[in-house]
Order: sequence, then structure tokens, then C-alpha cells
Amino acid sequence: MSTIAELMTHDHRECDHLFASAETHAAKGEWEAAAQAMDAFSRALQAHFDAEEQQLFPRFEAVTGMTGGPTQVMRGEHADMRETLAAMQDALVRRDAADFAGEADTLMVMLQQHNMKEENILYPMCDARLADERTELAAGLARRLGARAEA
Amino acid sequence: MSANPGLAYQDTPPFSAPLRFFLTAPLFGVVAGLVLLFAPGVLESRWTPPALALVHLFAAGFMLQVMLGALLQVLPVVAGAAMPAPARVAGASHLVLAGGTLALAWGLGRIAPEAILAGAGLLAAGLLIFLAAAVRALLDAPATAGASRTPRDLRYALAGLAVTAALGVLLALVLSRGLALPVPLPMLVDLHAGWGWLGWGGLLLAATSWVVVPMFQITPAYPARLTRHWAPTVLVALLAWSAATLGGHALPATATGLALLALAALFAIATVRLQSRSRRSTPDASFRAFRLAMFAALGGLVALLGTMLTDIERLPVVAGVLVMHGAFGGAISAMLYKIVPFLTWLHLTQAGIKAPNMKKLLPDAPMRRQLQAHAATLAVLLAAAVLPVLAPLAGLLLMVEFGWLFGNLLRAVRAGRRARG
Repeated sequence: MSTIAELMTHDHRECDHLFASAETHAAKGEWEAAAQAMDAFSRALQAHFDAEEQQLFPRFEAVTGMTGGPTQVMRGEHADMRETLAAMQDALVRRDAADFAGEADTLMVMLQQHNMKEENILYPMCDARLADERTELAAGLARRLGARAEA
Repeated sequence: MSANPGLAYQDTPPFSAPLRFFLTAPLFGVVAGLVLLFAPGVLESRWTPPALALVHLFAAGFMLQVMLGALLQVLPVVAGAAMPAPARVAGASHLVLAGGTLALAWGLGRIAPEAILAGAGLLAAGLLIFLAAAVRALLDAPATAGASRTPRDLRYALAGLAVTAALGVLLALVLSRGLALPVPLPMLVDLHAGWGWLGWGGLLLAATSWVVVPMFQITPAYPARLTRHWAPTVLVALLAWSAATLGGHALPATATGLALLALAALFAIATVRLQSRSRRSTPDASFRAFRLAMFAALGGLVALLGTMLTDIERLPVVAGVLVMHGAFGGAISAMLYKIVPFLTWLHLTQAGIKAPNMKKLLPDAPMRRQLQAHAATLAVLLAAAVLPVLAPLAGLLLMVEFGWLFGNLLRAVRAGRRARG
């Protein structure tokens, strides 16, 4: 993985696949399997958000001096998505298939429009503005994403 | 340039800006249904005055309205291009375009030259307002681009729209002022339709699909070679086809025309193949409708091929029905069902209100039934293209389909209003 954009975009797709697995099991009423898949998805998504908020965004903010800029917007959207994720988990515990599907659909659209902004705008900005430390930063992010998802 | 181009909530246009386009668009479909219901012999050929009115109610009314509304929303997100004063741009262009579409349709249907000219003039003015704001936003957008080809292809589509509109104005001048052109009128009409379908509609649909299909339906990405080369190849082929057609070179015109059909088919087949590899195991109504739209596109391309190689009388009407109602109508309805509930949810959430989830704002069942009505309408429209006596029934179904679409969208917006209390 040479760029931050490639690495983080790849992780977006990994999260999508875990999401699809949880959604599929829930739709079939396989609640045990759905809970397991949901757990994996939730951990991967939180790891992704955390890696951005604790590692990538601080570096971007330090180098550009933009603390109230795009990263703040992304943090706000992470907060919204954490809420919808919690609502999904709550519906799963109640085994409410309709509610789960509705929350899942909402998170899906929220997540994808957020990802579009990151992949098309923010990550390329990161690669450009953090060029000097890009390789090292990408390696650090990769370690973190790999380790957290397996934890 | 804003400190955080396209990313900030304040760069998101107010809900009313895209919504006014989304809610009026289906009403043009209802009016198109009225034309089918009450104008006798409308589908007997693509050249009958009511058929021309019908086509423009659908293309400039339904398709263009939704596409412009969606662009308002999508340009900031995928290209970092936020329009200046989106509410005012939307308000002005929406009103002028809607008035222009009605005038043009009236003029074409009733053979009223002044109305044709007024309609075309208003449409051109509305588009100028919108395109000027879009070009301004794209020029101000950050240069750092991602790997996605979508921002580039959206620009191409806007260029295609400008060409379509310019040809349309030229045609209006021929019809209303007797402007003498060195080329036959039907040839110019074909160019206008070709640029509208592929240079504007097709490029926009593809540019949107590059991101929407893999992301929302969780499929593999489109092949990089396709997304890199498809749109530029389409533009070059359109230019070559136009030059060959205008120059009266029959063989090159046919060859480039066939190339355009092949390019359109390539996109539809690639999309259908990706969709069959979706990881989302529960295809919802919107997914199915998008898929049906791709098959209708393929059917329409086969019909168009037939019109190039044979003189079968009804084939141009069949092709028009499949491409416009089946492909564009279906794909646009499918996208509206994702966009409107999500924007309702998003604007509630941004206002700090606990929003009901998307399926509570608009449940699956009414969407599914409306999309079934769309499929039934398509079938009867195709039958009516062969048996014109069925046209009134098709008109009735068209009114039901679009009235229902309007009702469903309104339902989501109202559920959002209720959540605001």
C-alpha cells in the first residue's frame, strides 16, 4: 500500500463486506451468526474511526493548521454513525428484523456518502499535504487497523 | 474557496434546493400520461406532435429536473464543488426550466411556434443559470483529485447537456422562425437526441454509477480500464458521429453510430455483471428497479440497432419507450428512492433531531408496489407502441406510476416534518 488513500479506501471496502455479512444473516433470521458478524463489523468500523481520529487527523491538523476544517466535519459524521451503529446493535439484541434493516440501510447511506467525501477529497488532501511522512504514517495506520480488527 | 470544500455541513445545499426538483419531476410524468390519454394516435410515429410533446415532458420535465436536483447534492460530495447560493440558483433555474418545459411541450403538441420558441428560450435560460453556477463551483473546487473518474465524467456530462441544449435551441429556431439550415431537420433531431441520451443522460448515469453501484450495492469496483476510457471514448465517438452525419458521409456515420450503441451496451452489461456480484443478499426494491433499467437499456439498444438496419415502422417508438421510460425512468426512480429518504434523515440529524431510520421514513412496501406499477407501465407502453389503440391505457398507467412516485416521495418528506414536531 503506497498511499493513505489506497490503504484507507481498502479498509472502507473491508468494513462494507463485514456489514453485508451482518445484514445478510439478520435478513435470514440467523441471529447468532448476525451477532457475530455485527461484532466484527462494529470492531472494524470503530478501529477505522479511531485510527483516523487519533492518528491521521491529528497529523493533518498539525501540518495544515486546519483544526476546525474538514477533519472536524468528519469527526462529527463519525459521531452520527456511532449513534446509528448503536441503534443497529440495539435492534439486533431485540431481534427486531424490520428495525435492524431500517437502521442498517440508514447507516449504509450515511457511511457511503461519508466515504465518498473522504476518498475523493480528504484522503487525496492528506496524501498531498503529508507527503513527507506518508509512508511511515500509512504503515502505522495499517498496523493499527490490522491489530484492532483482530483483537 | 471554502476552508473545507464540499465537506462541511454548511456546504450542503438546503433541503429545499434539491427537493423542489425531486418533487416537481414526477408531476411532469403525470402530465405526460395525460397527453397519452387524450391525444389520439400519439404513438403512431416518433414525429407526431403529441409524441414530441410527450418526449419533452419526460426528458426536460422528469429526467432533467431529477438530474439537476441530484447534481446540486452530488457536486459538493464527489467533486468538492459547492455552488454559490445553491438555494437561489435552484429556485431560479427550477422555476424557469419548469415553465420552459410546459411551454415547449405545449408548442410542440399544438404546433404553436411562439410557444416552442418561448419554451426553448426559457429552458436555455434556466440551464444557463444552473450551468454557470456549476462551472463556477467546479473551477473553485480543489485540484487534488482522488482515483475516482466521477468528477471528470460529471464535467463531460455537463458539456453534453450544453450541446443538447444548443441543438434544441437551433431546432426551435428552425420550427418557429423558419431558420434555414444546410442540413435536413430529421438529421438535426437525431443529433439532438443522440447528445441528450448519451452525451448528457448516459454520461451522467455512468459517472454516478462508477461510485453509487460499488458503494451502495457492495459490489467489486468497475474495471479501472472501463472507468478511465469509457466517457472520453463516448465523447470522441459522439463528435465523430456528429461530424460524419452532418457531412453526409453515410458509412462513417453508421459505423460511429454502431460504436455508440456498443459503448452504451458495454456500460449496461458491466453494470449488470457487477450487480450480480453484490454482497448485499437482500436486494431491495430500488436495486431491482435499477437492474430492470439496465435490461431495458439493453433492449432499447437492440431496438435502436434495428432502426439503423431496417425500416420496421414501429421500432423507433419501441426504442424510445425502452430507453426513456425503461432505462432512464427506472434508474432515476430507483435513485430517487435512496436520495429523498436519506436527505430527509440527514437534514433532521444535522438539525440535532433524532431522526426515524430510512425505512420508517419510507417503508419498502409502497416503494415496491410503485416500482411494480413502473414495470407494468413499461410493458403496456411497449404494447401500445405496436398497437396504438392501447395508448390511452398506457397513459392512465403512466399517470398512476408517477402520481404514486410523487405520493411516496411526499410521504418521506412528511414523515420528516412530523419528526420535527
